[in-house]
Amino acid sequence: MLFLAPVMVVLGAVAVFPILYSLYISFFSVKLTRPNRTPFVGLKNYTDLLGDAAFWSAVWRTVSFSLVSVSAIAVIALLVSLLLNQEFRGRRILSTILLVPWAIPYVANALMWKWIYDSSYGALNGLLYQLDFIDKYMVWLGDQDKTLFLIANAFVWKEVPLATILLLVSLKSIPADLYSAARVDGATVWQRFVHVTLPAMKPGFMLVMIYETMMAIRHFDLFFVLTEGGPGSASHVLSWHIYVETFRNLSFGSGAAMSYLLAIATFALSYLFIRTLGRKL
Amino acid sequence: MTDMPNTPPADAIDYRRRQKIARIVQRLVIVVSAIVLAIYVLAPVSWLVSSAFQTEAEIVSIPPHWIPDEPTLRNFEAIFTAGDSEPVTYETRSGTDPAAGDFIPSTAKNLLPSMLNSLIVATLVVILNLLVGVPAAYAIAKIRFWGRNASVYFILITRVIPDIALVVPFFLVIRKLGMLDTLGSLVITYLAITVPFTVFIMIQYFEGLPDELDKAARVDGCSRLQALIKVFLPLSLPSLVAVVLFTFLASWNEFLLALMFTQTSASQTLPILLASFTSDFTVSFSFLNAAGVLAVVPPVIVAIVFERYIVSGLTAGAVKG
Repeated sequence: MLFLAPVMVVLGAVAVFPILYSLYISFFSVKLTRPNRTPFVGLKNYTDLLGDAAFWSAVWRTVSFSLVSVSAIAVIALLVSLLLNQEFRGRRILSTILLVPWAIPYVANALMWKWIYDSSYGALNGLLYQLDFIDKYMVWLGDQDKTLFLIANAFVWKEVPLATILLLVSLKSIPADLYSAARVDGATVWQRFVHVTLPAMKPGFMLVMIYETMMAIRHFDLFFVLTEGGPGSASHVLSWHIYVETFRNLSFGSGAAMSYLLAIATFALSYLFIRTLGRKL
Repeated sequence: MTDMPNTPPADAIDYRRRQKIARIVQRLVIVVSAIVLAIYVLAPVSWLVSSAFQTEAEIVSIPPHWIPDEPTLRNFEAIFTAGDSEPVTYETRSGTDPAAGDFIPSTAKNLLPSMLNSLIVATLVVILNLLVGVPAAYAIAKIRFWGRNASVYFILITRVIPDIALVVPFFLVIRKLGMLDTLGSLVITYLAITVPFTVFIMIQYFEGLPDELDKAARVDGCSRLQALIKVFLPLSLPSLVAVVLFTFLASWNEFLLALMFTQTSASQTLPILLASFTSDFTVSFSFLNAAGVLAVVPPVIVAIVFERYIVSGLTAGAVKG
């Protein structure tokens, strides 16, 4: 029991207490601009949010960002894991360099893509120009219609390695007999993929999707460095909204309420995640 | 076998040829996709590295120079000697041509100290993770006690709490404790995002070790603690390495919490400083890229050297292995 005590104390202090305290704060109007008066307002922070158009558009942007990113991650990671499941020369080197995006800090990743997307001297413009796809340099992150996709691209690039590694596990767990049996039955490559590979990957796939969705919903770093929610409010997602509300408007009560809604959304989503992981222990 | 024809039937030839073609196509697809993947992963990083070795004059050429004409270490020099240079004032700054963007911010001298801050925080977080997480994982994996399942779920739940939901309560508490702008605030809050993962990986590893080991050690008169230290820890070295690496990288890379709690160079970590450079439009691009390279190199070296441990740890940490 003594072994468990430190973990319970630590997680109680840095995880359980803050999340409960956050719930408590969300019932008050806490503004650092008037630190001495923090009246109890009940559910007002929440009802205000539900009626706030800016909040809903931030939610909508978070949802679109997550949908785009997670589906791209799923497709690319599936293809990459199928490739790395083959035997070929250079496979080991390839799996090693695949860890590079996973390892680099998100802020450095953001800095790198900001420079690539740079409208005056960036690599994206340079490349497209040299390949004759564009005849003059274009604005990328500054274009409202493109911003969210470009940020999603930076997110996908960084997340694909982890998703691939996780999918490879389920691929490797498929017994070779299943394939030989299917071949004896005269299944084509495509049929073997659809009827053997895909069903066997389903649990791993679910886990990747849930995990990456949780990461996408809460993601903050790229938005901070690449666009600060702009241009206009094109990348003003929920996590950015929470940051602005809390640390720029110094309205901690409604910031807490919003982050609480985000946590609840994550919990609902992670129910499956927890159940899958919990079952195996 | 007597009536086997001398020449195989036409469709058999066709079948064999088709198989051969299929094999060639398969190889081709593999080679092409391997090359595409390598480019996809490496091209963005190579561009960052290439830019870091260019002069400011070269970096603004249109179209860009993919490989520097005259590679220079000037940008790195600027970072490593920034401590000795004169502080940037309005006068010294306006002396340079602002349009050239050839400007090294005065906070550049904080870059190396911020790396040290990152290193200190990450090291402390690793140590605390091991002290707190490993015994708990041992208890959950090897001791049957009432509430074991509840503890597993408790730890899993703490693992999915989004960091951004912790920011507001953390900030208020840390401010009340007078710990804003200290490395301690980072060490404590980083435990929230690392400990659940550590416990989770270690539980799985300990479960894979036979219970008999535990029994044998106990029969020989070991206490629980001795059994853990003398029997289990030496056996679980690979997963300990994985845990150390993950915790270290997570702390080294963390941004959101550090952004909230740090204010000066006393506690600013590398990602914070890096982000502050990117928001200054006048900062020289080549300097910025050099700083980015410095932030990228340590974690990438760690990842490549310890690839085996990382992959096995990641797979143990998430999916049914």
